Amino acid sequence: MARAKPKLIKERVPTPEVPVEERVRSFVEVNLGYDFASALKEAERCIQCPPEYAPCIKGCPVHINIPGFIRALRENPDNPDEAVKNALRVIWNDNTLPAVTGRVCPQEEQCEAPCVMGKVGEPINIGKLERFVADYARKHGIEEALLREFMGGNGGMKGKVAVVGSGPAGLTCAGELAKMGYKVTIFEALHKPGGVLIYGIPEFRLPKEILEKEIAKLRELGVEIKLDYIVGKTVTLEELLEEYDAVFIGTGAGTPKLLNIPGILLDRIYTANEFLTRINLMKAYLFPEYDEPIAIGKKTIVIGAGNTAMDAARSALRLGTEVTIAYRRGREDMTARIEEIQHAEEEGVKFEFFVNPVEFIGDENGKVKAVKFEKMRPLDERDSRGKRKIVGTGEYITLEADTVIIAIGLEPNRIISEEATGLKTNSDGTLVVDENLMTSIPGVFAGGDAIRGEATVILAMGDGKKAAKAIHNYIQAKKANA
Amino acid sequence: MYKILEKKEIAMRNTWYKVHAPHVARKVQPGQFVIIRAFENGERIPLTPVMWDREDGWIVLVVFTRGRTTMRMAAELKEGDEILNIAGPLGNPVPMKKFGKILAIGAYTGIVEVFPIAKAWQELGNDVTTLNVTFEPMVVLKEELEGAVSRHIVEPVPIDPNLDFPANMRNVTKRLTEKVHEMLEKEGFDLVFMVGPAGDQRAVFNVVKEFGVPMKVDLHPIMVDGTGMCGACRVTVGGEVKFACIDGPEFDAYQVAWDELIARSGYYTDLEAKAMQEYMKALQGGGQ
Ligand SMILES: Cc1cc2nc3c(=O)[nH]c(=O)nc-3n(C[C@H](O)[C@H](O)[C@H](O)COP(=O)(O)OP(=O)(O)OC[C@H]3O[C@@H](n4cnc5c(N)ncnc54)[C@H](O)[C@@H]3O)c2cc1C
Ligand SMILES: Cc1cc2nc3c(=O)[nH]c(=O)nc-3n(C[C@H](O)[C@H](O)[C@H](O)COP(=O)(O)OP(=O)(O)OC[C@H]3O[C@@H](n4cnc5c(N)ncnc54)[C@H](O)[C@@H]3O)c2cc1C
Ligand code: SF4
Ligand code: FES
Repeated sequence: MARAKPKLIKERVPTPEVPVEERVRSFVEVNLGYDFASALKEAERCIQCPPEYAPCIKGCPVHINIPGFIRALRENPDNPDEAVKNALRVIWNDNTLPAVTGRVCPQEEQCEAPCVMGKVGEPINIGKLERFVADYARKHGIEEALLREFMGGNGGMKGKVAVVGSGPAGLTCAGELAKMGYKVTIFEALHKPGGVLIYGIPEFRLPKEILEKEIAKLRELGVEIKLDYIVGKTVTLEELLEEYDAVFIGTGAGTPKLLNIPGILLDRIYTANEFLTRINLMKAYLFPEYDEPIAIGKKTIVIGAGNTAMDAARSALRLGTEVTIAYRRGREDMTARIEEIQHAEEEGVKFEFFVNPVEFIGDENGKVKAVKFEKMRPLDERDSRGKRKIVGTGEYITLEADTVIIAIGLEPNRIISEEATGLKTNSDGTLVVDENLMTSIPGVFAGGDAIRGEATVILAMGDGKKAAKAIHNYIQAKKANA
Repeated sequence: MYKILEKKEIAMRNTWYKVHAPHVARKVQPGQFVIIRAFENGERIPLTPVMWDREDGWIVLVVFTRGRTTMRMAAELKEGDEILNIAGPLGNPVPMKKFGKILAIGAYTGIVEVFPIAKAWQELGNDVTTLNVTFEPMVVLKEELEGAVSRHIVEPVPIDPNLDFPANMRNVTKRLTEKVHEMLEKEGFDLVFMVGPAGDQRAVFNVVKEFGVPMKVDLHPIMVDGTGMCGACRVTVGGEVKFACIDGPEFDAYQVAWDELIARSGYYTDLEAKAMQEYMKALQGGGQ
């Protein structure tokens, strides 16, 4: 099988997408992913840098052995089941939610950015390969066989851990601890697990059925999930500490920031979180088949330019309105994933750059009818977070809109920190943790957006994993000293 | 999944549910609420535990049949069935203090939310008078309140079949404001508390304000998650935007931006009507 002389294939093997006209009318997943043949072709492009210095591995926040799983695919070109099983084993060693991360990670900034092939052509399409492995395994029943290999196997005898929040941080922490042999219980405030993955990121990027299957794997590992439990209200942190050997807080950053400008309480001004929750979690786009209503007009303005703004804009579009994204900085400053900005543009979302809202204007019934913006101008300076500074020009424009969605950011939910006063927080509400992700309360660990503010899925998962190891060390040390 | 131990119609369009929900029963305090989801394709709605037993693990909810969800509950749920989700307790408990002489008002089904609060205030040594203004066939919890507070007054308003619904409701508003005016004129109160539609709360507040008596209100903006995550429940209080689900639901009536709140509570009227029509159609289609 070894080739005499590797030939560099510069272009990526493309992945098919649902045509624009078809997809803007539904919430079906836009990208269809690889099949085995095309995945193999893409895998063949990887030049197999040695793992100890492969730049892609370093670029991945949880350090998946990328050339390793790609090799596993290539080793069994005639036996897809075997190829995928071996590849999935390599991925699972570091990441238990590949169907999710393969879809939502900003690979262009992570593993794919430093990929050697990117220097001579296009980087390897690592994200789509990861997604292919996970999807194929799920569809062909390969996961079940592999799950057994990963089970901790001692029925939770090592100790009991409570995990608060079922977003990517909590799910990962729970999964890792279960694999090590702990009895884990997740406490989730909402009626479905998944955090942002279930209520924030829409179906057309991450089908909920896939997410549910990823979560079902955890249940098979023995993780218990208690829904409708708001830690801080239904049960206190102190009570959890009495019953469990340790606690992990992965409550995310789910509280929306609002613009402190006139008119913020007018009708049809939503926070992106409310809008997306109604659509994703409550399936308001299927109203009245589903009970949850969503009121939307003909012209929608979305304020902000992150993933949340892109998701809200594309969801609104699918409900049949015109959509404009209004952003106070420029095109190159947008923080959303490039793939999603492209998708939004293809689907017909319009963009207004360098505009900052100063007032929402309402009609006589209290409904929003326009947004007044100040025009902004970029400076040649950067702020502490590396973003371009902007200043107002004193010039204004008013854009008509009968629906406005605010997506200017999120901060941590205060319910737990307000109740558990011993828990130290920073001024932005994020929890203070040490290098082992332990909070100011011994035995209580935290990770994900709860300590970082709005970040990414994979960083939350990385934290969950790191905290699981720290929790293991903490509990074993405590037991050894007891 | 939370089992319905008891379900009965206790007045016109008012249903009593005794539900097994030990996680809520264990912790709930007067002033707090729950968010429930009764059906797989259903929405999340806020309701208030009226009574509870911490040991046996049940709570009582009294639900006014208002729109699609509450009507579906009344029509489809049976004793022994299960409610899919009950999250809570949510919101802040009301302050448990000695205020002195309190007038606690419940318009319509709002009286059920007044019940646990009035009862606890009375037990703490306050002198509590409760007032329920509602349509004649909708009086609820009369005996329970009579047993719990110093004095319970019911002002039933007859439903005039010749008038439309809004006109009938205006009659309730009228009776409410007149009665409160009369009571404040005759006797002094240290605190007025009220649960009811925002329009009625404002009308009563305008009366109370004349007498300069402190007033608290439980606000009922639209809620989705109830955990501070969406901002649907935002209200302006004291010039600041607050989330009723985590900062309230109880606020100082003197600080509330009433016009805004009232405008916001009408937002979904058209869609609610549509949901209701669809549901009625389905019911008829199903031959029920
Ligand atoms: C619309 C949107 C799109 C995004 N798109 C991307 C993307 O494409 N790629 C990417 O990498 N990142 C994306 N992000 C960011 C990413 O989703 C988050 O960084 C990530 O979900 C954080 O994970 P987490 O586990 O820390 O918290 P979350 O996912 O926020 O989960 C926290 C969970 O804790 C629960 N909870 C909160 N308080 C309590 C309590 N007191 N008791 C019990 N439970 C509680 C919440 O209900 C929630 O389920 C997006 C975010 C949004 C909002
Ligand atoms: C903190 C709180 C406690 C409550 N406690 C009780 C109670 O104990 N008993 C009771 O009968 N009612 C109570 N309500 C009101 C109850 O939530 C609404 O009557 C119910 O949501 C109506 O749902 P529906 O689908 O039948 O009606 P619809 O009119 O079709 O409602 C549709 C939508 O509007 C929202 N909505 C409509 N009216 C209200 C309202 N007044 N408050 C909040 N959301 C609303 C619902 O959440 C739903 O999303 C409470 C409300 C709040 C905020
Ligand atoms: S850097 Fe690129 S070429 Fe090198 S191993 Fe990673 S994916 Fe393959
Ligand atoms: S109901 Fe969502 S923030 Fe209050």
